[in-house]
Amino acid sequence: MNCQRFENIVSELARGQMMAAEQRGEALAHSDACEHCAARLRDEEMLTRGLQSLAAQMDHLAAPDQLEAQLLEAFRTHPGAAATRHFRSRYWLAAVAAVLLIAMSLVALRWRSNPVDVPRQAVVVPSSPKTPEEKPLREEPRRDVEYQAANDTPRQRITKPPRHRQVRSSENTQTASLGGNEIATDFIPLRYMNAANLQDGGQIVRVELPRSTLANFGLPVNMDRYNEKVKADVLYGVDGLAHAIRFVQ
Amino acid sequence: MDKTFQQTGTFLDECANTNDRMNLQGDLNDTELLRSMLAGSEDALAALYRRRQAGIYRFALQMSGSKTIAEDVTQEVFLFLMREGHLFDPARGSVGAFLLGVARNHVLRRLRVEQQLAPLGDDVDDDLPALQAGADICPLDDLTRAETIESVRRAVLSLPSKYREVVVLCELQDISYGETAEILGCAIGTVRSRLHRARALLLAKLRPAAAVEEQDSATVKSARCFA
Repeated sequence: MNCQRFENIVSELARGQMMAAEQRGEALAHSDACEHCAARLRDEEMLTRGLQSLAAQMDHLAAPDQLEAQLLEAFRTHPGAAATRHFRSRYWLAAVAAVLLIAMSLVALRWRSNPVDVPRQAVVVPSSPKTPEEKPLREEPRRDVEYQAANDTPRQRITKPPRHRQVRSSENTQTASLGGNEIATDFIPLRYMNAANLQDGGQIVRVELPRSTLANFGLPVNMDRYNEKVKADVLYGVDGLAHAIRFVQ
Repeated sequence: MDKTFQQTGTFLDECANTNDRMNLQGDLNDTELLRSMLAGSEDALAALYRRRQAGIYRFALQMSGSKTIAEDVTQEVFLFLMREGHLFDPARGSVGAFLLGVARNHVLRRLRVEQQLAPLGDDVDDDLPALQAGADICPLDDLTRAETIESVRRAVLSLPSKYREVVVLCELQDISYGETAEILGCAIGTVRSRLHRARALLLAKLRPAAAVEEQDSATVKSARCFA
């Protein structure tokens, strides 16, 4: 054993900590031979005795008796810890439920406000009285149609091109019947539509149109599916003319 | 007369029930007492308090040197146990270590506040109980021993808190290295090295006093020889 190794274990030696008997014997033998290490061991033993005396002096100390009475009174006054824990768990459950509710509401609002592929309601603007400056309707084939988004977005005035292509193929025409999973826009008038013309009856024919037709009616078009076709229901009057169209998704 | 006998019998029954309850609580270990307390048992709280309050009080007193802080900390620890006792995890240590860990946090918080107001040394209570001397110890030895203990106490209080807590736990509370590591939330090796360093600091603080003490002791011995 050298002085360095003795220094490492001198505290344990003075405190009487458990150590290997061989190591203890070597340390004591070294302290007998080395005056410096012997003094070091004496200091450590003196410190240990001082600390033990301090511990013994304070060993009988305890908290005052009234503290127990106060704590027991507090335990009686306030709800028990278990009840507190249940209350806290209920509180956390309510908080989690509230957060989930808010999150679901936000998702629902966001989903409803998403303009992509959401059908728009078309509202026919009543024809305003003609003014002298206004050209005749036949000369001005564009017709003002005001579209109102389903989510009450500000109204925007969109002009319709003079004509749009319609595919009237007998193979793909069928009577329109909206299934439970189909979404359709309102009927968009294709020409000046008199309600009296529809009173005599009519026929709805399901057709497929190029998706670009949606743009003609001011509806949003997903450019990724620009070349695909879109289903539409065309309303024919008894006069055999197409009066209105609606798009089906 | 019958009524008096009846009342006396009822009183004795209540006493017997109370004693039974107390004995029952005494048989339970700390974890079971804590569980009972959380279920609403006041007796379990009382039993746990009586079993653990002294150690917590002494720890806080030895760490702070102030009876006021020690009482406040003891109260805070058990109030915390009543509120947050379900946080105790038996897999991470004993209830005693858990309580001392809570006490340590409260003491350090109080000391930080106190240090902002006044130096720690000024707050040390000087009304700690005097040494209980045995009949075979002469007054001079008693005085010397009391002075030594007082100097040791002051030296411990002057240590930095991270060294003071290991001295208090390992030396004064006689808690093992492993349990001290649980209380402090560190490795056993850290406890060991901090204790080694703390003892070196204590010796450095006590060495002048020890030298004076040895000199006085030599003087007394020589006086006795001449006498």
